[in-house]
Amino acid sequence: MCPAYERTMKPPTPRLRMALIGCGQIADAHLQEAAKIASVEVVAVCDMYFDLARQAAARFHIRGIYDNLDRMLAEVKPDVVHITTPAHTHGPLTLKALAAGCHVYVEKPFTLDALEAETVIAAAEEHGKNLCVGHDQLLDSTWIDCRLRIKSGQIGIVKHIESTLGYPISGQFGAVVAGDARHWVRKLPGGLFQNTISHPLYRILDLLPDAHPRIEARWDRVKYEFPTELWVQLRGAEVTGSLTFTSSVYAQRVTRVYGDKGMLEVDFDAQTIRKHAAPKLPGAFGKLELPFRQWREGARNLRRNLWRFLKSEIHYFSGMRNLMAEFYRSIQQGSAPPISHAEMLRVTRIMDEIFADCRARDAADIEPILAPSNQMLEAVR
Amino acid sequence: MNIFLTGGTGFLGRRVVRLLREDGVPVRCLVRPSSDVRALKEFVGSDLWSGVEIVPGELSDVASCRQLIGQSDSVCHVAASLAGGAAVMFLNTVIPTRHLLTAAAQAGVRRFVQISSLGVYGAAGLSTNAQLDETTPLDTHPELRDPYTYSKIVQEQIAWECHAQSNLPLTIIRPGVIFGPGRGVMSNRVGLKLGPLLIKMGGSQTLPYTYVDNCASAVRSAVHADGINGEAFNVLDDGLPTGSQLLRKLRRAGQGTRSVWVPRPMIGPLSSIYEWYSRWSEGQLPGVITRYRSDSIWKKLRYTNEKAKARLGWSPRVTFDEAFERSIAGGPA
Repeated sequence: MCPAYERTMKPPTPRLRMALIGCGQIADAHLQEAAKIASVEVVAVCDMYFDLARQAAARFHIRGIYDNLDRMLAEVKPDVVHITTPAHTHGPLTLKALAAGCHVYVEKPFTLDALEAETVIAAAEEHGKNLCVGHDQLLDSTWIDCRLRIKSGQIGIVKHIESTLGYPISGQFGAVVAGDARHWVRKLPGGLFQNTISHPLYRILDLLPDAHPRIEARWDRVKYEFPTELWVQLRGAEVTGSLTFTSSVYAQRVTRVYGDKGMLEVDFDAQTIRKHAAPKLPGAFGKLELPFRQWREGARNLRRNLWRFLKSEIHYFSGMRNLMAEFYRSIQQGSAPPISHAEMLRVTRIMDEIFADCRARDAADIEPILAPSNQMLEAVR
Repeated sequence: MNIFLTGGTGFLGRRVVRLLREDGVPVRCLVRPSSDVRALKEFVGSDLWSGVEIVPGELSDVASCRQLIGQSDSVCHVAASLAGGAAVMFLNTVIPTRHLLTAAAQAGVRRFVQISSLGVYGAAGLSTNAQLDETTPLDTHPELRDPYTYSKIVQEQIAWECHAQSNLPLTIIRPGVIFGPGRGVMSNRVGLKLGPLLIKMGGSQTLPYTYVDNCASAVRSAVHADGINGEAFNVLDDGLPTGSQLLRKLRRAGQGTRSVWVPRPMIGPLSSIYEWYSRWSEGQLPGVITRYRSDSIWKKLRYTNEKAKARLGWSPRVTFDEAFERSIAGGPA
């Protein structure tokens, strides 16, 4: 989707007034992307630390600065509230914003657990307000392209999805979590993973439709006193999935979709899609055919990204912008939000089951039943 | 005198701890609970270590800060975040500083030494070859600066607020770019690193540098000197090189870098073009270079350390040449 997508979208109704709660790191992305959407006017930011709210307001030219949520809701009366606070506060703050008559866009993870998710969804339905969770990579143009290629039959019927998240703890946020035993992330039921696996997980679940796939999961501690490695297998009736979170490799966000005729590898950092399939030519000829096809895929990706660069479409948070645009359109048109309540609940419930299984195995100290996949190790090499 | 010191395990802080211990001052040293203090202990030395009290904790709120300060009668706030976006910088530098300032004012400390930065000045508003000294106003548009400088400017603003409103006895130290063993001598004042390549900006601008040992000695002086309440001091070495001179020295020392030169008259226009493109492309290339930022850091200015010499009784003992040799030789930070 081109950046003109939102700029040219003429708002059918007056702009929706947006306020943001929680001015930490991810707030920048929300404010930056919201500024690109014609139907949004950012009217206030709020953080328990006034200094933090003030710096966001200064950099994004926002008039309303608050360190008290009740006062902000009462005075500003925003149409939409974005919640970018620590994960354990998502539920209570969403409920408060809904009660104040606001539509809510909440960052991932949606809530602390499925029970809280049910309460929040019920409140949204009761108040007649739209909810959106930050599953933004579903609307990333690379993922949309991947879905189109699957739909066109390029890899046949989807059988397995594999998501890998490389998350070095030495990174900015990871280092803070590792250095502070009292950090809020360490207190979440799923620890570090609860804050991070939403993206790789919902990419799998986007193509794995079962409400209750069978789950086997294990986490492990390597260098730190808290778990930093996670392996999950999901078994649906027709489709399986596997998720690997590892802190021991370089930062990467890759999903591979295996069909009965081929495989698509989506690299969200490189913004590329590579297709792999069995050779059509026999024997040694096939060994020439496959590298040729890979070279052709590489050239195609280069052309695509070059063209997107020229059109200034390469943005880390383009999926977030698209999701926001769809969410705001759903509010203005009174249509269903881009991510259904059922999907929010399903992802949250499956996360609960993953962490419950990990804790059970952790307590029983069962040997790992799963290991990083060959594809993942190959990618690292 | 009892000093409560933050950032004691850091590059500058550990040197300040050692110097204060050499003066016989007991130091209550705040460290993060996860910090390893072995390097600090080794650096300070076993003879002086007995006067160092390690206090694990975080400056997470005023009450915690009050407890951490304990019976200390002075505070030396060295800790600051060096990397990250603006939000991270504020969370790690500005907000803890506000807590600490409030707690120190409540505790009635007799001196609060705040380590700021030479970058806090509104250099963009100065004319070329102007002198930058302690009378130069702070930047009035800190939000246009890089995240580190933005956080340091606001950190200093709130320190002055606390000084004015709560009578906190405040002394500010504004070091230039601190260099030394383990950190090297290159900085963005010379140019921008683009992978293995250096984009050399101008070259005739004097680099406002201070060797870490010289800077630590200025902080020590600020702890001891009389009659400096409400004063700020620029801390810079003597005999500072220009960007070109530094690169030549590095080349002669066998540590040359492949560089592309941007002549001085081109810096402003190119920065404006980059800034325009970043805005037009809605951030496809991040807005790290702007006209305002380039005017703030690559402008040719004259610097002075006369006030620190006169009022703190300090002088940079290690010459730039010696500091350079020590820095490029490596060794522990």
